[in-house]
Amino acid sequence: MTRESWRIPGGLPEGTRVVSLPEREGFPALHYPVLGRRGVREVLARLARARNEELLHRPVESLPGLLGRVGRRFLDTADPLRREALELLPDAAGLSSEMSREVLDGMARDWTPERLAALLRREFADPQVLDRFRSADGSGSALARSPPVTLHVGSGNVPGVTVTSLLRSLLVKSAALVKPGRGDILLPLLFHRGLEEEDEHLARTLAVAYWPGGDEEMVETEGVLFASVTQVVAYGSDVTLREIRERLSEGARLIAYPHRWSVGVVAREMLDEASAEASARAAARSVALFEQRGCVSPQAFYVERGGGVEPRSWARRLAAELERLTRSLPPPPLLLDEAARIQQTRGAAALRAAAGRGVEVHEGGALSWTVIFDPENSGEASCLGRMARVHPIGDLRELPRLLSCHTPSLQTVALEAKGVRREQFAKELADIGALRITTLAGMPWPPAWWHHDGMAPLGSLIRWVDLEG
Amino acid sequence: MDPTVRDELLQLFAAGVESPLPDAAFDALALRAFRSQFESNAIYRGFCESRGAAPGGVRGWEEVPPVPTRAFKELRLVSGNPDRVERVFRTSGTTRGSARRGEHHVLDLALYDASSLPNLRTHLLPDEERIRILALVPDPKRLPDSSLSYMVGRAVQAYGAEGSGFFADPVEGVEVGAFRAALDRAEDDGAPVLVIGTAFAFVHWLERASVERVRHRLPGGSRIMETGGFKGRSRALSRDSLYGELESALGIPSSRIVNEYGMTELLSQFYEPVLIDGAEDRRHRSPPWVRTRVLDPVSLEPVAHGSEGILCHFDLANLGSICHVLTEDRGVEHRDGFRVIGRSPGAEPRGCSLAMEGLLAGDGGREGGG
Repeated sequence: MTRESWRIPGGLPEGTRVVSLPEREGFPALHYPVLGRRGVREVLARLARARNEELLHRPVESLPGLLGRVGRRFLDTADPLRREALELLPDAAGLSSEMSREVLDGMARDWTPERLAALLRREFADPQVLDRFRSADGSGSALARSPPVTLHVGSGNVPGVTVTSLLRSLLVKSAALVKPGRGDILLPLLFHRGLEEEDEHLARTLAVAYWPGGDEEMVETEGVLFASVTQVVAYGSDVTLREIRERLSEGARLIAYPHRWSVGVVAREMLDEASAEASARAAARSVALFEQRGCVSPQAFYVERGGGVEPRSWARRLAAELERLTRSLPPPPLLLDEAARIQQTRGAAALRAAAGRGVEVHEGGALSWTVIFDPENSGEASCLGRMARVHPIGDLRELPRLLSCHTPSLQTVALEAKGVRREQFAKELADIGALRITTLAGMPWPPAWWHHDGMAPLGSLIRWVDLEG
Repeated sequence: MDPTVRDELLQLFAAGVESPLPDAAFDALALRAFRSQFESNAIYRGFCESRGAAPGGVRGWEEVPPVPTRAFKELRLVSGNPDRVERVFRTSGTTRGSARRGEHHVLDLALYDASSLPNLRTHLLPDEERIRILALVPDPKRLPDSSLSYMVGRAVQAYGAEGSGFFADPVEGVEVGAFRAALDRAEDDGAPVLVIGTAFAFVHWLERASVERVRHRLPGGSRIMETGGFKGRSRALSRDSLYGELESALGIPSSRIVNEYGMTELLSQFYEPVLIDGAEDRRHRSPPWVRTRVLDPVSLEPVAHGSEGILCHFDLANLGSICHVLTEDRGVEHRDGFRVIGRSPGAEPRGCSLAMEGLLAGDGGREGGG
């Protein structure tokens, strides 16, 4: 069945053409709307009006409860919304059923009333600054204002990314127009339906529409859209983000989340038998989750020599854990290009092993996972499909130099070290541009209030208005 | 390198691409080539042993372990005395400047000449002894590590008529003024030409030509060899649009544009037989001394006829390096050959990890300069 890729409050504007996009490897067929110049303006105007009528005057403290009640439905095993999500996600996002459940659980955890309220409190000492001018210390007051509409441009298919994004937008009272990546269409559409069931008035402040970005049909629509909006949250490659930036009007704000590189580090003091076992298990999970497609997904691990368990042996443990995960969290079928790339990487590594470079290749059946132990830190782009490189290092002090080839793309570093050493190297990693330092277990699921790519999740969406005198 | 195999190959290549090589004869030669490579290349031997393959153990050439093109970036794969390497060809860089380039260490350029020239002749000059060759690739003297420049240089020596030349700079690209003068001259002389270039060079030139409103009407019998894709390059253009634009800019019908598919890692090339069979049903053909299979990328077993898979070639001309090479290129079997599909343009990424970018940018392949 071919599905519609949009939910627009008030329906498609007059003159919208609906175009079908055939099935492509990894993605089901769908219909998408070509809104055109007038259609885009109409949708933006509707959203802006709805924001003024439905969002602006609501007390901000009521929003986490309202929005969170919809978000929580994705966690309720008896709820039809969750059931539908779980039924359709494997196809829509290219994940196994087990992984779909795992990812939905992890994403939706942050969509509950409690988490949304906590996010609001964490970002604003006094959340009511989103309602009216408030004074912190009696010397003048301030109001936090967001633009009428924020455009959210997703990429790829880590499902749920755009739901998290639209929730932040609505929390700060900016209507949301969501253009998800092709693999992330389902959840924002279902969220919109849930919101309509919860509060049909509030649902007018959210529109979702997918179309193939850069498509010839869409040139005019996209041009008008990008020129009209004043705030865009966009996820994507450097090229995509540059193209968006070039099409925005002067003064529009772009909150850009480029593709990222993340790694794990295990210090020698964390390499006694029990800790090594635990870190290998956590590392395997962080590799498998999202099928390594997330910006937080580790591409390589640096393991310090001189602990109880040597790096080569830690790599074997990682391999064993990845093998175990093929049963509890099975990988989806690989796309042809992904499989071809894994064959290239594996084969080249096997030849390097044969060349006596100390390389060891561990492989799961049917290309399900690969661990390459490689004394040489090639700094080369890994490939997807649960492919992890393990590099031994003599001392953590080598890290800044080794990782410097990845700045400015470096995002998360899972640093398994203890005490003063951990603090000291966290600081050094921050100095070379790492944006999040965590543990291997925490790697896949940053807290709701994390400073994604160094930015405040809600603070980046608002502007402060001061009232003086 | 086994000298008796080498000599037999030289004879075989000299017989031309229209002399069939039966499967059994190919298999026998392939297994002797494998033995020679296994014995003279320690890295490859270790690799084969790790896969449980050894001469005498494999039952046919299909069981000889293929080496991925990526390995040419990371290792020197010479089957013979590395001190005897006559030339190192390198793949061009990609947009990712840091990416390592693939290297093909060629022990014996005679095998390259012997394989590439008759193949080129059959597919580009089925009707002419010599022709004026206008090459939009750098002169091999200026870009000695480009396998394409080398091959075109040898073609100019062997088949180039008066007026042949190179019209590209290794850094600056197409030398527009000199190329225009050569095209004007060819029109004046009424002499048919063979224009050779990479798709990238043609796009570059077409952009300039359309600004300057250049339109040539090259003499009947002229033809084009187009090679290479747009991997990792800036502006992508569909093949139909490229051929259409070439047709209007040069006056050479798209039915006389021949695509050559080649890679630095292989000394043999694949051509579309459009000047022989017509352009209605385009596909690439392997010369008799190459066997090409379309493999399932997961199992590395052949896919059903007509299904998509990745291309894997066994090229006997690679006797001095590695014969069996696994590419990243998508293809399907078609009639007596195969079609290269390449990477789907505008493929959508499946995530926000940086590893996606490598997948989309792609690397490998050949094409220096241009």
